[in-house]
Amino acid sequence: MTTTVAGPPGAAPARSAPKGEERRPRRPWAPYLFVSPFYLLYVLFMLVPVGVSLWLSLTEWVGLGPPHWVGLRNYRLLATDISFHRALGNTAVFVLVALCLVVPLALLIAQALNTRGLRVRDLWRTAYFVPIVVSPILVALIFGLVFDRQFGLANALLRALFGTGGADWLGDPDLARVSIALVMLWRWTGYLTVFFLAGLQNVPRELYEAAALDGAGRLRTFTTVTLPALKPVTAFVVVTSFIGAAQIFEEPYLLTGGGPAESTLSVTMFIYRAAFQRQQFGYAAAAAVVLFVLVFGLSRLFNRLLGIGRATS
Amino acid sequence: MTRARLPLYAFLVLLFVGFLAPLVWALSGSFKPRGDIFGYPPKLLPDPFTLDNYRTLLTEQPFARWFLMSTVVAAVATVVSVFVCALAGYAFAKFRFAGKRLLFNVMFSSLSIPFAVILVPLFVILVKTGLGSPWFALIVPWVAPAFGIFMMQQYIVQSIPDSVLEAARIDGASEFGIFRTIVLPLLRPALGALGVWQFLQSYNSFLWPLVLVSDSSQYTLPLGLQTLFVSEQRQYDLVLAGAVLAVLPAVALFVLLRKQLLEGLSTGAVKG
Repeated sequence: MTTTVAGPPGAAPARSAPKGEERRPRRPWAPYLFVSPFYLLYVLFMLVPVGVSLWLSLTEWVGLGPPHWVGLRNYRLLATDISFHRALGNTAVFVLVALCLVVPLALLIAQALNTRGLRVRDLWRTAYFVPIVVSPILVALIFGLVFDRQFGLANALLRALFGTGGADWLGDPDLARVSIALVMLWRWTGYLTVFFLAGLQNVPRELYEAAALDGAGRLRTFTTVTLPALKPVTAFVVVTSFIGAAQIFEEPYLLTGGGPAESTLSVTMFIYRAAFQRQQFGYAAAAAVVLFVLVFGLSRLFNRLLGIGRATS
Repeated sequence: MTRARLPLYAFLVLLFVGFLAPLVWALSGSFKPRGDIFGYPPKLLPDPFTLDNYRTLLTEQPFARWFLMSTVVAAVATVVSVFVCALAGYAFAKFRFAGKRLLFNVMFSSLSIPFAVILVPLFVILVKTGLGSPWFALIVPWVAPAFGIFMMQQYIVQSIPDSVLEAARIDGASEFGIFRTIVLPLLRPALGALGVWQFLQSYNSFLWPLVLVSDSSQYTLPLGLQTLFVSEQRQYDLVLAGAVLAVLPAVALFVLLRKQLLEGLSTGAVKG
């Protein structure tokens, strides 16, 4: 679902509607009719809920009876709620993992896959993409087994290679975060590779030839030809990954339950817990509004900084 | 293969193993008796080999019902959303109309609204209005993804020439008739890509069903498997078998439409 993952590429380039061959139809209402199903659903299942969320965040409500108006109290409570601070911090860590590890690795793999004359390119590309097809519950199950303290594959591997392997992957607060990061890496890298590879294949060959003529080395070619040409894709991937990682839920929920000691509690888990386990609907809504402001605001900022919409060279 | 290529292939093979090992391990585990799943050192080939996990899952758990629930929900959501997206994408690609730019930007900015923000109100609204039936609530809120409209719009701009539409108009075809008889057939590759993507999204969705569905007779696959996973005695053997069965339709779809999906997804991202 469009939920917690790096979902469908959601980069939101704030581009203007495309120009090009367009025409005024004989029936001027036709385009409105064509877009109306989307906007009907958009209003009902997006705008209205966002509005309700804002309103609920100013109330105290256990899910039954009428909500009590409490003004900004939920926000004041959030400001001093250590669990919420932890959730924000952990989510920030997951976002950093996505941006500083997953995205660069995806670029590296795409670069490798784009090598001229590479054999069985399709096989590699497919293998790296497969994790995206697998449902989160299976991901959690597999990695629950991989990270099992006694018998897991991770420790078995460590034992085989280095002779030590008693790591408590999911039970130690720091390692639990590392484990979640590894799962993110496994799950999302191949998906992002698809975008980088498409971008790389669109770089005009002449640019590389020109760079070669200028005697540019591999690194120079990468920084002066590849990176600038990849700018639109990179912007897209960065914003998509940010939005996805900022809402991470399944990995911590299924693998660690947010623990140990809330070391992997994410904001979305915090919202879920408040609303559906503790019946604090107003409080959950307030946390959701904070998440909304952060994600919406920062993705706008990313868009602006990365110049989506005016980056075509 | 030249010697210089060796590090490259080593890198690719290492990743290949890294990405597939957990899946191979799960597949192999689903054919092992429970005690062996955790055996050390881990064995690649199940010995003894058993189909008991599958048998138990299919006879003692309502696996077939979960499966049906998930596939029907995902299939309906896919068909409807592909249609809605193609329709809107076509309007954005081929018509000029007042407010187009604003509507387009509104559509696009919806991509940066986190799902968690609408989770609580959506639940409250649907349950309070009596529309919380899984058949409605698992499907309808998800059938108009902005990403799909964007993808369609990009594809239509790039691949459907105006002259074709013009000719149909001169022949007196209605606007919707043009969409149905000319645009939709030409869109087939893009529809395939978006369709697979939408199917996977719905089929694998977890958080929304987890919140929405309380009646265990209406569990989707991920919810059903979760009950085995979090139950007292962690029935790893059954979950592994269930996970393998659950992933089959997704893998089949992916293998069939892999090329379209991989190319369709990157439409739009490339040019930014």
